[in-house]
Amino acid sequence: MISLLAVALLAQGLDPKALLKPPTDTWPTYNGDYSGRRFSPLSEINSSNLDSLALEWFYRISSVGQQRGVGSPTIKSTPLLVNGVLYFTIPDHVFALDARTGEEIWHYTWQDQGGHLVGNRGLGMYRDWLYFMTPDCWFISISAKDGKERWRKHVADEKMQYFCTMSPLVVKNHILVGVGGDAMDVPGFLESRDPETGEVQWKWNSTPRKGEAGAETWPNPSSMEHGGGMTWMPGTHDPELNLIYWGTGNPNPVFAGQGRKGSNLYTASIVAINPDTGKLAWYFQPSPHDTHDFDNVETPVLFDGMFNGKPRKMLAQAARNGIFSVLDRATGESLVTKGFVKINWMKGLDGKGQPIPDPAKEPKVDGSLISMPGGGATNWPPPSYSPLSELFYVNAKEGYSITYLTDDDPEPQGYGGGGAGGLSEPVLLAIDYKTGNVTWKHKFPSGGFGNAYPGVLTTAGKLLFTGDPAGNLLAFDPLGDRILWSFRVGAMVSNGPSTYMLNGSQHLIVGAGDTLFSFKILKKGK
Amino acid sequence: MLRPLEHLHKYCKRANRTATGGTGELPGVDYAGHRSLRSRLGWCVYTNTKYALIFCLIGLASAFAQEEGAGPRRQGGTREFLGLGAAPDHAAAARGEKLYKPNCAFCHGEKARGAEGPNLVRSTMVLHDEKGELVGPLLLKGVVDHGMPAFPNFSKEQIYDISQFLHLQVELVANRGLYKRLNVVTGDAKAGEAYFNGSCRSCHESDLAKVATKFPAPDQLQSRFVWPMSRGKRKVTVRFDRETITGTLKQLDDINISMTDSNGNFHSWPVSAVKVEVEDRLAGHRALLERYTDAEIHNLTAYLVTLK
Repeated sequence: MISLLAVALLAQGLDPKALLKPPTDTWPTYNGDYSGRRFSPLSEINSSNLDSLALEWFYRISSVGQQRGVGSPTIKSTPLLVNGVLYFTIPDHVFALDARTGEEIWHYTWQDQGGHLVGNRGLGMYRDWLYFMTPDCWFISISAKDGKERWRKHVADEKMQYFCTMSPLVVKNHILVGVGGDAMDVPGFLESRDPETGEVQWKWNSTPRKGEAGAETWPNPSSMEHGGGMTWMPGTHDPELNLIYWGTGNPNPVFAGQGRKGSNLYTASIVAINPDTGKLAWYFQPSPHDTHDFDNVETPVLFDGMFNGKPRKMLAQAARNGIFSVLDRATGESLVTKGFVKINWMKGLDGKGQPIPDPAKEPKVDGSLISMPGGGATNWPPPSYSPLSELFYVNAKEGYSITYLTDDDPEPQGYGGGGAGGLSEPVLLAIDYKTGNVTWKHKFPSGGFGNAYPGVLTTAGKLLFTGDPAGNLLAFDPLGDRILWSFRVGAMVSNGPSTYMLNGSQHLIVGAGDTLFSFKILKKGK
Repeated sequence: MLRPLEHLHKYCKRANRTATGGTGELPGVDYAGHRSLRSRLGWCVYTNTKYALIFCLIGLASAFAQEEGAGPRRQGGTREFLGLGAAPDHAAAARGEKLYKPNCAFCHGEKARGAEGPNLVRSTMVLHDEKGELVGPLLLKGVVDHGMPAFPNFSKEQIYDISQFLHLQVELVANRGLYKRLNVVTGDAKAGEAYFNGSCRSCHESDLAKVATKFPAPDQLQSRFVWPMSRGKRKVTVRFDRETITGTLKQLDDINISMTDSNGNFHSWPVSAVKVEVEDRLAGHRALLERYTDAEIHNLTAYLVTLK
């Protein structure tokens, strides 16, 4: 009896080993597992029974009200599902729900002193503890049981215009936290912190300091110390290679590159880092000397497969600059670099397979037309890779916009420019990783993707779940442009859908605006 | 769970039904959470297992996408969004400028971005200061070791004024909602006129005669002709059985189409049951986007700004 009780008391916690397996009865980290594939091996929900896929419950955030500068709450986080409890976030708030009923168990509230409330991706979890980042960059440990705060650590100064949105990534006994903030030319970094104390284990700067490797890609020490390269999205991890993979954000000043001539390493890059030491293993830079706010933080997705007749451990990313990259994730060797939308800002590829930006297409005082909508070809919403179809899926935007230089000072500061107007058309793309070619494309017939658009989930049920701009949750056939099922959630799906087994049934969970929806197959007689 | 609505009425005159979404929404704007849950669930009680390819010609406008990191465009909204705190006191900043320029600019630069002395816009101390409470003591004592002299005679009011001048310089960098575009009229108006005659006049014979009066800011005019941000009302033709209804499109997605007819009556159908054609009045602009060079855009702007 005592041992049973002990098991029950421990049941709240998460064994870190759960993160090593594809998600089935848990969804224990932002992407479900370390690979970032957002592919579920579950198949109870499949094309034969979609007619019976039904809403089980919904939970609407009704206790928060308007959030500073952004309006109504928007769920961009992917909930964690651990031992029957869902944990999800919006900026300044953490919620725990009974996954069976949607009943609120507890609600943690933070009072920020600044920072941007643009979004929050969710939580990290290590045994009995949750880890949360606040808009003003406090790193907080919360008890999963009752939502009580254990400790808080200040990761970055919100007065310097840092802000934090990411879900901490748990790798062994490291909690990895990154930062955002590009209004005031501050430098980016990634930290590993101790799960018990919150203290810093190591810190990796995403721009070099004087004399360090990469410094040759900046004109002077000041430019790199103010060079940006934020780390605001959770990365992925290969336990065998013992590497974490992270996308880094744009350099600063954002649109005005005249004061930072050079490729500006390691901004707008994919970096591979040893999680125990914080040492850089390799890098690949999809946007050298970025001047278009091409934050390169989109998920680096890990999968194994054949490439040119050889088995490879690969990494693929569909980036905001419109470039689809496939790399050997052991070495960083480039296998594919190709535009998934029309690209007019680059002249070709360098010897490393990285794009060479065209100076003629940098932002100009009188405007420069780029073949990409304002905000780029895609953004943070999570993509998916299905090992069944061997296709990479991403919601993207096609179109055009004009970029302007508004600060023509030789030493510009801040954004120094911006984008304007333009055509933006939302599409769902299926990309063949072996060639970078778009295998199929679905053009959504109306509306546009805002800043909280749908992520993608694929499953062994041979389904692809995502949303459209009009507020429909959709199931596609992953092999073709064919919608199999829809459900009107009324607002655009605003996070990445996820799925898990709970009480013997596969559930689908999705956030749309301020509401979380849970679906399952209705079984006859129940 | 309600079953799929396989047999919708031919006409769905539901004037009292709350529309959700709709083409009145600006692409790029997040409408999440702006609708009542009641209206959501009113719409989401059926599933659609049939999907039919529809033929439609659609032009989509886009506001500058408010993406992560881009932030809202409204000035006040941008300040609030960025969490920049209290706005600088502009009157005090103007007084402070008169003190800053002769006393500080030679070391810290005209715009406080640094010269021989440090950049004050990126200064941690300045960014933590609100009303001179941190800037003041430093000014009064100086940082003699680093070559900054003391200014012991500045009054409390003068220190406040200088602090507000510095906060205004920070504001001009950090608050991108305040950014002003520089001169966009750099092109050759004659070349622009020739381009207009060749590529635009067939659709715009006379309606742009005073376009520069309507859009007096050249950068707005340029954005407007490159891609009009508003399409206005879109004409839609819906065909089903042997009937055709023409009206104004309200909502079109992969699942549903809704519109109002010429009498103002609301109709909706599953797209799988009808054939939809949407007029694309921006087809010409779309075609030009594929062809424009930057020089052609600048030449067109230089010509259009003369049409007053």
